[in-house]
Amino acid sequence: MKRTVLYENHLALKAKMVDFAGWEMPVQYSGIKSETLAVRKSLGMFDVSHMGEIRVKGQGAGEFLDYVLSRRISNKNPQLTNYAFLCYEDGGVVDDLMVYQLGPENYWLVVNAANTDKDFAYLEKCLTTYKAQNDIQLINETDLFGLIAVQGKDSLEPVLNALAEVYPDQNIEQDLRELKRFRQVNYLFNDQLVVVSRTGYTGEDGYEVYLPIEKTKELWQSLIEQEVPPCGLGARDALRLEAGLPLYGHEISAEINPLEAGLGRFVEFDRDFIGKSMQGKQDRRSLALISEDRSIPRADYPVYYQNKKVGHVTSGSFSPTLNKGIAFALVSNDLPEDLSELEIEIRRKTHTYKVTKTPFI
Amino acid sequence: MAELKTDRYYVETHEWIMIDGDTATVGITDYAQEELGDIVYVEAEPEGEELVKGDIFGSIESVKVASDLYLPVDGEILEFNQELTDQPELINSDAYAAWIIKIKISNQNQIKELMDAEAYQASIE
Repeated sequence: MKRTVLYENHLALKAKMVDFAGWEMPVQYSGIKSETLAVRKSLGMFDVSHMGEIRVKGQGAGEFLDYVLSRRISNKNPQLTNYAFLCYEDGGVVDDLMVYQLGPENYWLVVNAANTDKDFAYLEKCLTTYKAQNDIQLINETDLFGLIAVQGKDSLEPVLNALAEVYPDQNIEQDLRELKRFRQVNYLFNDQLVVVSRTGYTGEDGYEVYLPIEKTKELWQSLIEQEVPPCGLGARDALRLEAGLPLYGHEISAEINPLEAGLGRFVEFDRDFIGKSMQGKQDRRSLALISEDRSIPRADYPVYYQNKKVGHVTSGSFSPTLNKGIAFALVSNDLPEDLSELEIEIRRKTHTYKVTKTPFI
Repeated sequence: MAELKTDRYYVETHEWIMIDGDTATVGITDYAQEELGDIVYVEAEPEGEELVKGDIFGSIESVKVASDLYLPVDGEILEFNQELTDQPELINSDAYAAWIIKIKISNQNQIKELMDAEAYQASIE
């Protein structure tokens, strides 16, 4: 199994480790509830170094990404970190990812750990059929970088302190104080790339710091010394679901296109791109559901409307913030528009769930 | 390191059973609560239900997972620990004090098939 550079740190913190997409990762330290609430109330941090970084660079890289991704990238503000889908021809999703512009014709795709190899192979295939002549290079840089996400409203000061400790000769304070949501700053420190973006996967304000693998332990240690609570993948999943954010393989997949998942705002149809044929293909839709009783919905539980099975839960959990069961369900698109309630079958009994809006919190 | 008590028996599905004459209380082990993490919901079959050894008598849920509960011996459910309705986390704080159900044992012969603390300890190592 693969391990991030922080593996020993997790063991020292007595994390419970699990196999996640071939990586041995911390699922929790103190407990999923307390970690989730720490991020909601103040802050917490996550080792997400297992996520993939794929470099796409060379003359024409921007145009190539415009063609393979669900949104035009080349015309966006280069400081914006953009969320987009990599799709199959039929609109099914290969992966959802964040696009970082690192320079002219120089990009990073930050992808799900479970999909890094698949994405890389798919991009290579797209590139060979793209244009006979091109100078675009694809490089998998996952093993070169660590990634620490510090999330919650009190994230900025510890991140500033930690970066000042790791890079004492660099002055980045003003940049980070002025950095707006969903934007990034890129640095070359000693010829090594460091990227800080004001992004995350929790629904809270926060920062994600990409830095060379040999510096990652130092940054983590500094954050630990500042008493930033370490949080595992369990809290990360609870936080993202509470925030109404999709997870690949659940809300979106090769079989569930972005329109069905209610994520059409991240697809730009006014041009040609791989996956454009998803337009109009929307037999199902995604609904946010919240419990009326103490039940907890889980992925794959069947969903009923007027005693007829109409779909299934794609993600479900107990919400530590709301103390209720919450879920995304994928249901048939012929249900009434103004649906207010559905039933979820949990251990052979049906429970009423209210249709709600995201974010849940 | 998960704690064990020598005053009761165990089964490999991580329930404990403490016998008092022809009745018994049943809960989950400290090892099981550690594996589950924060417990947020517990339910059991209704009182009066007659079940056999290995039957699912209820379920327990943590933030992350739902897990079935298995009856260690044949018996009739006498009572569900109502405290767990509002405070399922009692199982996290003391898995051996927070019993889940009380049963009337209907087959005393099955007691000798249960594991003692030592045997259970060996099974989780």
